[in-house]
Amino acid sequence: MRQSSVSHVNSNSKEGRMSNRHRGTGVGLAVLAVAAAALIAVAAAAAGGTRQAACGDVILNENSWTGSTANVYVVKNVLENKLKCKVKVLNITENQPSFQAMADGKIDVVLEDWDNTLVPSNKKYVTSKSVINVGGNGITGVIGWYIPRYVLKQYPSFKTWKGLKGKESVFKSPESGSQGMFLGGDPSYVQKGRALIEELGLNLKHVVAGAESAQVARWTQLYKQKKPVLFYWYDPQYLNAAYDLVRVQLPKRFKGCLDDEKLKGKHACEYPSYGLDKLVSGEFAKSGSPALKVIKKFSWTSADQNFVANLISGKKMPKDKAAAAWVAKNKAKVNAWLK
Amino acid sequence: MSAITEAPIVASVVSHVPWWRGKLVQVGAIIGVMWLAYSGWKADYPWPNELVWNNLELRLDAIQAYLIDTRLEGDGGVVFTLFDGFRLFADNLVTWFNDLLIWLTWIGTTVVGTLLAWRFGGLRAGAWALAAFASFALSGLWAESMETLALMLAAVGLSILVGVPLGIAAGRSARFNRALRPFLDAAQIIPAFAYLMPVVLFFSIGYAAAVVATMIYAIPPCIRITALGIRRVPVNTVEAAASMGATGSQMLLKVQLPMSRRMLLLGLNQTILFALSMVVIAGLIGGGGLGAVVNNGLTTNPALAILAGIVIVIMAMALDRITEAVADRTDPTKRHLDTAARRRLRVESIVVAAASIGTVVVAKAVGVSGDFPDLAGVRQRTVTAQEWLLGQIQKVLDYVADPTTWVFQITEAVGNFILTKLLLPLQAFLVEAPWFTTLAGLVLIAFVVSGLRPAITTFFMLFLIGFIGVWALAMDTLSQVLVATIMAVILGFGLGVWASESRTVSGVMRPVNDVMQTLPQLVYIIPFIYLMPVSIVPGIVAAVLYAFPVVVRLVERGIKDVAPQSVEAAGAFGATRWQILRKVKIPLAGDAIMLGVNQGIIMVLAVVVIGGLVGSGGLGYEVAQGLVRGQFGQGVIASIAILALGIALDRVTQGARQARKEEVA
Repeated sequence: MRQSSVSHVNSNSKEGRMSNRHRGTGVGLAVLAVAAAALIAVAAAAAGGTRQAACGDVILNENSWTGSTANVYVVKNVLENKLKCKVKVLNITENQPSFQAMADGKIDVVLEDWDNTLVPSNKKYVTSKSVINVGGNGITGVIGWYIPRYVLKQYPSFKTWKGLKGKESVFKSPESGSQGMFLGGDPSYVQKGRALIEELGLNLKHVVAGAESAQVARWTQLYKQKKPVLFYWYDPQYLNAAYDLVRVQLPKRFKGCLDDEKLKGKHACEYPSYGLDKLVSGEFAKSGSPALKVIKKFSWTSADQNFVANLISGKKMPKDKAAAAWVAKNKAKVNAWLK
Repeated sequence: MSAITEAPIVASVVSHVPWWRGKLVQVGAIIGVMWLAYSGWKADYPWPNELVWNNLELRLDAIQAYLIDTRLEGDGGVVFTLFDGFRLFADNLVTWFNDLLIWLTWIGTTVVGTLLAWRFGGLRAGAWALAAFASFALSGLWAESMETLALMLAAVGLSILVGVPLGIAAGRSARFNRALRPFLDAAQIIPAFAYLMPVVLFFSIGYAAAVVATMIYAIPPCIRITALGIRRVPVNTVEAAASMGATGSQMLLKVQLPMSRRMLLLGLNQTILFALSMVVIAGLIGGGGLGAVVNNGLTTNPALAILAGIVIVIMAMALDRITEAVADRTDPTKRHLDTAARRRLRVESIVVAAASIGTVVVAKAVGVSGDFPDLAGVRQRTVTAQEWLLGQIQKVLDYVADPTTWVFQITEAVGNFILTKLLLPLQAFLVEAPWFTTLAGLVLIAFVVSGLRPAITTFFMLFLIGFIGVWALAMDTLSQVLVATIMAVILGFGLGVWASESRTVSGVMRPVNDVMQTLPQLVYIIPFIYLMPVSIVPGIVAAVLYAFPVVVRLVERGIKDVAPQSVEAAGAFGATRWQILRKVKIPLAGDAIMLGVNQGIIMVLAVVVIGGLVGSGGLGYEVAQGLVRGQFGQGVIASIAILALGIALDRVTQGARQARKEEVA
């Protein structure tokens, strides 16, 4: 834009000087000048048109769970195809590293944050406006104790935690001895398995399974053999489509019930449900990028996310293709983000 | 139990005096008393709360908060400014390498890389380079490979730049060497997960942070091996040079460095392998490339994570073999250049330069892109072999994840047996026995095995562990570390001896060692969990597989380096091969073997966090959780405990080595 307007001025002044010397060619030159001006105007209009939509670079952060991948690649697809943004995807580990990255302007957007903004050591990032919460992504995260449906069928009382009492040994494994085995979750997730077992007085042994992929290996092997298993799990998760799981009801939430095992107090209640938030960096929020509007409006359902996640992880489809498949099917939803 | 009693047996193989009987009996008696205390007061006496520094975690968290505040307020003072300078430098360096590799186009990079390797390293080196580039292209991970290659070139280069001078200094001054050692131990043992947070605070995320994290892990072996090389230059040579009036710098440049050449090269190779083993962790903080593919693939597409892991291994092996070949060819003691050879080399150089420039010019003119394949997206899957490769890997994964196969019937039973009959009892013994009998017992064992000083060190380290409030977790981890170390040492010792006696075994072991040292552990341990779905065992397997190559390498090197005169002398007396090995070679290689044991312990501890990620619990899980849940203090405390265990174990084995030396003498 700036370039073309400069050349416009130049060509005008040149034309003016020339016309004094050669009147005869003046008409021709005038025509040329008009044509040039028209061309420049058209170019300028075109440039102006693209500038309005020019979005520049947007850096999205993809976390290590498939739901996050689904968010990122669908938004990437929309930003690239509708706004012509240049989207870059980074894989920075969640919590403090990605918060610092946002403060440094290295990540613009996180599309699914499970309450990391509430972690005490991260408060400063929020209060200093380095990291800004721009609302939920439409999905409610649920955490709890899960069992396969075939177990519930055999033991209908396992619908609630009270039904587990006295029958814990159903879940026994070689490593839990006479007790029942409870498989803990990924170290990055909020957990209070040990506290719940103790405060509810259950005869369960808390077994640490490690990272999510390791934990999945553990419980899916038992599932495939139709053996009983009780474990920490969450939703939305694409595996929930392939494995029929049921959540065991824990005691209702009460005032003062804690979710962090490390804090002293009472923990014997259900995990809260998490409104999953979108975060943008302070810099990106100020940039006025048209992508910001789309990201603020981006919102979908667990079913949507699981659909894409299942294409990627279940059907092993390339991420971009899976996102494109969903976008093609859900034009109305996508258009709502673009309004 | 068996963990502790077996250690002296290993040592006894080396020596042939019957002193160990006494020690074995003593150790057995101590364990017996500990066992009685354990059976009598099971879980009655956990580490007392009065002896715990309860505020430590809060203090550490406060440090983190202070750092974050200072960082966010913008004006970070001198320290942050200094770090910022390095950050810009490292960021730019990696970006520059990466841009160069992309700018050359994929054809250009392949041709230039292969020709350079051929010119300076010979035909085999050229073939390795070509094979590596082919694997980057076929796997469909070209751009990622270039990013990782750029990162590694920068990280290895900077590690050498820092490590070699420090190593030389440590080699020439025993005092400096002693002062440096605790830092080297710390850098190698403290899990990267624990210092990722400060690294990110000081260097933000991105290449610089990735380079720093990699350097912290890759510099220690560079320093250690360089120092060892300088120290091993024969004293009489140094004295001869000194008597002829050599100055300090002459001594270094003309005597010590040339004579320790082979050791310096081993240092370079180990630096490369250690750096490549950090690719995945670097991926967590912005290293990108193959590391990010592995991290993301573990949950979204395990086959892709494995493929990226294999590419990392190929890159490591290619870099290793090429640098080795280059070093070999430029070795002045082997190179006797006549005029004809010089002329041939000059012609080769011109051909390489011309072909490189020509290829790049043509490729740029035709419009070959920096990424392979040229048409990203649509044709990708038909041009590369990625789809086929992923399909093959997936087939294996599907088989592994199927609990109806006969393989699973065996592995599950084996896993359950090891866990319930060996690991859980040992864990319960160390965790639940009264803290004072465990503390006293372990210190006494240290005393019996290796003397007073190591026993004092052990006492302080164990007390420190209790004092920072992680006694139970540390005992849990100790039980696993003991088992893993013993297995790694037995396996490594056996294979190392075998490799020293057999060319074939040696030839087979080298690539196996390389793979085990650089293949990201999670990519093969997660599938392994499907076969052995129990806790702890997979973590032990990961630790053993990561640690035994070092033992193999040092044992093999040590036995091969035994002076030929001794072997010939024994042969002249009519000793059989087996006798020579047992009575001459192994005792004479004792030092190298015990160094192998020490390095084995360090490597086992280095993957404690990986264990935490695959169900071992203990300190490793705490460290991993500290990072991902933003609990800095928790991660640091668990790391200190891991380091304390490492120092205690290291000093005890070092001491055992000293004690045995004295007895032999």
